[in-house]
Amino acid sequence: MSQPVIDIRHIDKHYGQLHVLKDISLSVEKGEVVVIIGPSGSGKSTLCRTINRLETIDSGEILINGTALPQEGRKLAELRSQIGMVFQSFNLFAHMTVLDNVILAPTEVLHIPKKQAREEAIQLLERVGVGDQALKVPAQLSGGQQQRAAIARALAMHPQAMLFDEPTSALDPEMIGEVLNVMTELAENGMTMVIVTHEMSFARRVADRIVFMDAGTIVEENTPEVFFAHPASERAQNFLRTLHAPQGED
Amino acid sequence: MRNGTIRDFLYEAPGPKTRRRIRIATAIALAALLVLIALIIRQFAATGQLSARYWSFFLRATTWTFLGQGLLTTVEVALTAALISFAVAFLLLRLRLRRSRVLRAISTAIIEFTRGVPTLLFIYFFFLVVPQLGWKLSAFWKITLPVAISACGVVSEVLRSGVNSVPKGQTEAALCLGLTETRTFYRIIFPQGIRYVVPTLIAELVIVLKDTTFAYIVSCADLMQNAKVLISNYDAMLSVYLVVAVIYILINYLLNRLSDRIATRSGRRAASLPGGIAQ
Amino acid sequence: MSLSALLSQYGDRYLQSLFTTWRLTALSFLGAFVLGILITVCRVCPVKPLRAFGDFYVQIFRNIPGATLLILLVYALPYLKITFPYDVCVLIATILIPSAFCSENLMSGMNTIPPGQIEAARALGLTFLQILRRVVIPQALRSTVLPMTNLLVATMLTTALASQVPMRPMDLTGIVSYINTHATGGVTAFAISAALYCLTGIVIGRIGSFIDRKVRILR
Repeated sequence: MSQPVIDIRHIDKHYGQLHVLKDISLSVEKGEVVVIIGPSGSGKSTLCRTINRLETIDSGEILINGTALPQEGRKLAELRSQIGMVFQSFNLFAHMTVLDNVILAPTEVLHIPKKQAREEAIQLLERVGVGDQALKVPAQLSGGQQQRAAIARALAMHPQAMLFDEPTSALDPEMIGEVLNVMTELAENGMTMVIVTHEMSFARRVADRIVFMDAGTIVEENTPEVFFAHPASERAQNFLRTLHAPQGED
Repeated sequence: MRNGTIRDFLYEAPGPKTRRRIRIATAIALAALLVLIALIIRQFAATGQLSARYWSFFLRATTWTFLGQGLLTTVEVALTAALISFAVAFLLLRLRLRRSRVLRAISTAIIEFTRGVPTLLFIYFFFLVVPQLGWKLSAFWKITLPVAISACGVVSEVLRSGVNSVPKGQTEAALCLGLTETRTFYRIIFPQGIRYVVPTLIAELVIVLKDTTFAYIVSCADLMQNAKVLISNYDAMLSVYLVVAVIYILINYLLNRLSDRIATRSGRRAASLPGGIAQ
Repeated sequence: MSLSALLSQYGDRYLQSLFTTWRLTALSFLGAFVLGILITVCRVCPVKPLRAFGDFYVQIFRNIPGATLLILLVYALPYLKITFPYDVCVLIATILIPSAFCSENLMSGMNTIPPGQIEAARALGLTFLQILRRVVIPQALRSTVLPMTNLLVATMLTTALASQVPMRPMDLTGIVSYINTHATGGVTAFAISAALYCLTGIVIGRIGSFIDRKVRILR
């Protein structure tokens, strides 16, 4: 059996009194697309952020390709460089052009010659559909364009897996589609992905596996077909019902 | 996400090695600071500055009433200067908001002039030049007027930024209701605008207070001047000036704290002052 | 005294004074900048005592009046057997006070950086030093151009403290007091110095806003 790319074993996390992650275990195989859903405050974003140690854990362990996630220093940086991350608020570097945003990490971290990094960056930006925006600064782009550029920035590191932390939650409705399309394309090309999202139809379409979280625990894990048609737990049933209600949040 | 300042998010949660390094650095830094304090105290001791005769008179009530009188003058000068400055600043603002290009230019020139010249130069103007013109002023006004003039340009700019942050819709609404432009300014715009800049105005008071310390030039009996009398009485230069410095620092610190408090409560940070240092 | 009489008699001295003020301003600002950076490093480093020291330093020199500090340096320090020449005392005062404000500017410059950008850099695998060098410092510096310009002008105004000690050559404020105690320079003597201060300030301001327009970060 092949080794999982991401292997989370019995992790716990507290924010003071609040127990935000309770004995979570989750493994993601190579090429698998795992979508984490659940009500807000369920801990799904926190879980996603523990994978590259943007959040620390109190106990348990996280293995990336079989090695334990380092706790600090160069080793941790090196490991992070192999896992791409896309944030809710894009987080492009405001003082650089979009192109320089994409080039920064390959030249600084991987020491790829600038010329080569540049060519590759332009290709990536074209692939996500913002090639013509390369020389602008982030603030001149729409939210959807910024998020696609942020995806290109992560892809430039040739990551073994990509983490998406609510990538469309900060977008205007008309821009959500363009970002989801890029993500769908990535999934179809075999990228290993962990996605935290509220976009249910996207989840149903793209996910190999749905992970439903509530109150810091994984309540249910299943294929999208089974999960959306016959959720096993009452909490998942309630969650899906509120989504489908006419005045639902989403 | 958690909120905080750059101090909180510049570093990630430390791993065990980093934690150990921070602990060691903390111990070294603490030791270094203690050594520094010890050296300072030793220097005081070695030069005899810790001897009781330099400090015991601070236990006498007369010392504090005397310093208090000086402080009272300091506060009087500062508050008078602040009031004059505010009034002049308001006039300059009204001029600046006029349609006439000439009036606006005059106002701008005065503002730039008062902002660009050191307070000390204004003080020498009132101390040395004004008497040449045959105008006799008391020591109080010789310090109060230059300090006021020196501040009015900045205060006027502060007021203008406050007025500018009142939404345009307010003016439009008032004019639609039939208020004249003047009434709109006095009744609607200015009262709102000034609320935005209260923190900055308080911070400006710190600058005014600092400027009053030049009162010794014109022999006005402020805190610094009274300190000098104490010094000659007790032959205690270092201790008296240190105490006076601490008094000034404390007052200014409290004023700045007050400014920050009001600013955070109204959800606004005090805008950084143009020329934010007093000499 | 008329302008021409004043200039023919004191023209050279005015020029010297102007250069003295410029020199003092440049030296003070440079010193304040270096010291301000050091203090800021202390204030943001993870070592608590250094943070406390940095904060304390800033509160002291932000709040002490220039005259009080100068008098302490010139008259009180010799009682501790620490004596500096007059010009050094002035320079120390005009470095220490602006350095506190410089640190405040740098802190607020850094605080304009959204935390997410630092997280993003971290997630890309940049080390702490790389993040500082490529993300934090460039953005902090670029957003502090205007405050630093104001600080430079304020530093120039602070150097007028030099007129409070017998210093040769005199600065632009010292010369006004000198001329008016030796002759009746009147309004003109004052106006020349004031104009030179103002012009210098305006030029600094122009250059500052030019640079700011070039490097300002769109957000």
